[in-house]
Amino acid sequence: MNETIYPDRARIDALEKVLGRTRFAADIPLPRITHAMTVPSRIVRGRLAAIDIGAARAVDGVLAVLTWRDFTNAQSAGYLMGGGFGFQSHQPMLSDRLVHRGEPIALVVAETLEIAIEAAALVDARYEEEPFAALLEDERAEILAPQAGHAMGDAQAMLASAAFRVDAEYLSPAQYQNPMEMIATVAEWRDGTLTIHEGTQNSSAVKFGVAAALGLDSARVRVKSAYLGGGFGQKNSLQGQTVLAARAAILLGRPVKLVMPRAQLYHTASFRPASRHRIQLGADADGRIVAASYEADMQNSRADTFRASFSEITARLYSIPNYSSTARLVRTDVQSPGYMRAPFEHPAAFAFESAVDELAYATGRDPLAFRLNNDAETDPVTGDPFSSRFLAECLRTGADRFGWSERNPAPGSMRADDGTMIGWGVAVGAYKAAMAPAIARLRVRADGTTLLSVSGHEMGQGIRTAIFAALTEGLEIDPARIEIVIGDPDAAPQHLTAGSWGTASSVPVVRRAVETMQARFDALRDGRSVHGSIHQMLALWRRPYIEVETRLQAPGQPDAVFDRLQRGLPAAGGPEYKPFVSFSYIAHFVEVRVEPTTRRIRVLRVVSIVDCGRVVSPRTAESQVRGGVVWGIGAALRETAEIDPRFGGVLNNDLAEYVLPVNADIGAIEVGFIDQPDPMLNEAGVKGLGEVAMVGVAAAIGNAIFHATGRRLRQLPMRIEHLI
Amino acid sequence: MSEQDPSPRDRSNDLAISRRDALRISAAATGASLAGFGKTMAAAQPMPVALPGMSLTVHFQVNGNHIETLVDPRASLLDVLREQLALTGAKKGCDHGQCGACTVHVDGRRVASCLTLAAKVEGRQVLTIEGLSLEDGSLHPMQQAFIDHDALQCGYCTPGQIMAAVACVQEGHASSDAEIREYMSGNICRCGAYVGIVAAIRDAAVTMGGD
Ligand code: FES
Ligand code: FES
Repeated sequence: MNETIYPDRARIDALEKVLGRTRFAADIPLPRITHAMTVPSRIVRGRLAAIDIGAARAVDGVLAVLTWRDFTNAQSAGYLMGGGFGFQSHQPMLSDRLVHRGEPIALVVAETLEIAIEAAALVDARYEEEPFAALLEDERAEILAPQAGHAMGDAQAMLASAAFRVDAEYLSPAQYQNPMEMIATVAEWRDGTLTIHEGTQNSSAVKFGVAAALGLDSARVRVKSAYLGGGFGQKNSLQGQTVLAARAAILLGRPVKLVMPRAQLYHTASFRPASRHRIQLGADADGRIVAASYEADMQNSRADTFRASFSEITARLYSIPNYSSTARLVRTDVQSPGYMRAPFEHPAAFAFESAVDELAYATGRDPLAFRLNNDAETDPVTGDPFSSRFLAECLRTGADRFGWSERNPAPGSMRADDGTMIGWGVAVGAYKAAMAPAIARLRVRADGTTLLSVSGHEMGQGIRTAIFAALTEGLEIDPARIEIVIGDPDAAPQHLTAGSWGTASSVPVVRRAVETMQARFDALRDGRSVHGSIHQMLALWRRPYIEVETRLQAPGQPDAVFDRLQRGLPAAGGPEYKPFVSFSYIAHFVEVRVEPTTRRIRVLRVVSIVDCGRVVSPRTAESQVRGGVVWGIGAALRETAEIDPRFGGVLNNDLAEYVLPVNADIGAIEVGFIDQPDPMLNEAGVKGLGEVAMVGVAAAIGNAIFHATGRRLRQLPMRIEHLI
Repeated sequence: MSEQDPSPRDRSNDLAISRRDALRISAAATGASLAGFGKTMAAAQPMPVALPGMSLTVHFQVNGNHIETLVDPRASLLDVLREQLALTGAKKGCDHGQCGACTVHVDGRRVASCLTLAAKVEGRQVLTIEGLSLEDGSLHPMQQAFIDHDALQCGYCTPGQIMAAVACVQEGHASSDAEIREYMSGNICRCGAYVGIVAAIRDAAVTMGGD
């Protein structure tokens, strides 16, 4: 078991970042680079009847204008969740068929960006339009038969006889990840090898996906994704644009840079689908939750099946013996929705933790005491033990730090001196503790340098810093001369870095590499006592280097899972590992202030206490939790895609109209960690952090708004107009 | 969201270039060159040939180095810095003046370089993140404070945040957390590093005050 307590240290790539030296994909300097711009479809569904590229082609400096006719021998690389590599199965520009608004119908490549933009605007198209469904409630939307979810006990019977009941519907809108780095592809074709520079969370899927789409030998496709300017799930698979840029680079024999404009990204990449959540809860006279029913509807595209798993966490937040859940997928004419930070857990926790709060009030109990009274000791779904669970500690610690005991429970009872309404709310969250198979190659050299190639992508979560911590806490090597290569499938096979399994997958395999390296070194030492670093001893013994390779998968996964890793397919395991179940947990305490006249809602302070297992990189972990809380505030109070049902597109497709939290929206955020290693999940004791940080924030805010005003808001985002 | 620049009207006056000036510069354009590159510009690659559309010669200083280059009259300062001068520290997050990732200083004031035509910086002094470090190569106090307070995650918004933060202090808008938050709200950080950013500015403001 891992007893290492990791010290506070600065983010290892912070220096490069504050100097502006970190090279993101669009920063890569390549000689004779060209610039590409896409032309978006102006209809939702139908056929591209005619396209005129003459005027665009005639602009001085335009090198090529590609249309679907230039892609006739290309094919879709398939859907990530259906055995393929793409965020959706529909690859634009393979034919004249159009299935969602904004998909590219042409790609202009020019000597400069200004010329590419000018020429793209000159491409003229004629469309044959077909009717479509834009919204969940549209009559053309196709509602699929419900997917079976959980079924424990007899929820309906117990609900009917419960002493206290809640039955409510909660709404969550379509939302967009909006990483600050717009998705950028730089493609270069040289000597029969294609190199793609793109900030992606899944460089292996890009490698194998581009190869499959363009009929190339995957050995001749290289992908470099050393840094992302944020991913949040939007960059978790092959993008349609990557195939377009790659083809253009091959045709032109010059590097092509395609930075997808922010406005187009709302239609060319994934998003969080709109969803509806009906929650029924029942409690007995002692304040025990006896039954729960969870029925959800979630938006999908026509072609792909993005499954809803809202209930995965809500079935486990409490010890509820009678529980049922179902989910219906609703097909609309849209690009395929996908993963956005806490994809199911954020809307699920908003709905369920709001309902639990309503139930606590219905029973006349304090929402904190009510939650503690219903804590689960073993997993209600499988009956198996939790590998570790400190949710009650999160609640107790958070309540202490927040000062919960000072709370007057009556809604509308707390006021500031100036009359501002004060609300204190609590909610909890959970997120599966998953692991993906990972491979580490570690080479320590006599010349004082160390090279570590390992599975994982740096999106800003701090995985490099965590890997660095794991490497240097265990080994006598020069910390100033370590090169960590991640996001490069040809250096080490790359897992999709998502689902909060990045650190839990990469750190344990690095620890294993460190142990193996130490064992090899000890064998070389052969009982001699040595003084100095590994480098010095290697130099003394005239060995240029020692190299080890280690691999690790999730508990119980067969070795065959490495085959999936090698082929760029999703391979993560969890949260159910026979015979135990693993989740990370969090408790959020929120103070909101509501101005009595304008009803403006502000989040003054948040206290969030996390159980994510062992914390490997304390400083970056704290930042990650604060970031998750900021995401929760944005999701609760600001973010929504405004869809025009007549035209089927996102109307607010820029950062002025799709409102993200800014500095003035954020108050104090205090973060605490339980920092207890998980004894079963992996040798490092690490669970996951990135997503759980956000789960429950929106509910805590809604619960605080109820406490401040007596008004229960069940629709996200919660806005001034809902309080008037 | 509050203004990126506290006095945008002043800014446009500062950068005003008359149509006649622009035409004069354009007529004099013969070829691109980058002159007088010092330490900070060593990485820049000179533009070997004039590309189509590059019909205007502009002269300005970047990080203390004199620049003379041909540009497309439509080109933004951001794109010229990034694509022609190989100064990729300033980032494009929206290209619409909505995010602040492209923030640089022009004559000491923060501007969104994506909304600033390169043609408008004729004769001006541009400072980018690459030129912020001190003469002896050590970090600017704001850069150090961003590291100390982990005021970043992915680092994509960071060059813009730091340039805005330095200006925020110099403008005298760092007297309280609330004021810092207000005057830094033109710079979006999707990673949500705001608490660290405010702490870093509060800290650096003290050091910078001694200047
Ligand atoms: S890129 Fe200039 S403000 Fe966003
Ligand atoms: S650090 Fe990622 S957007 Fe600010």
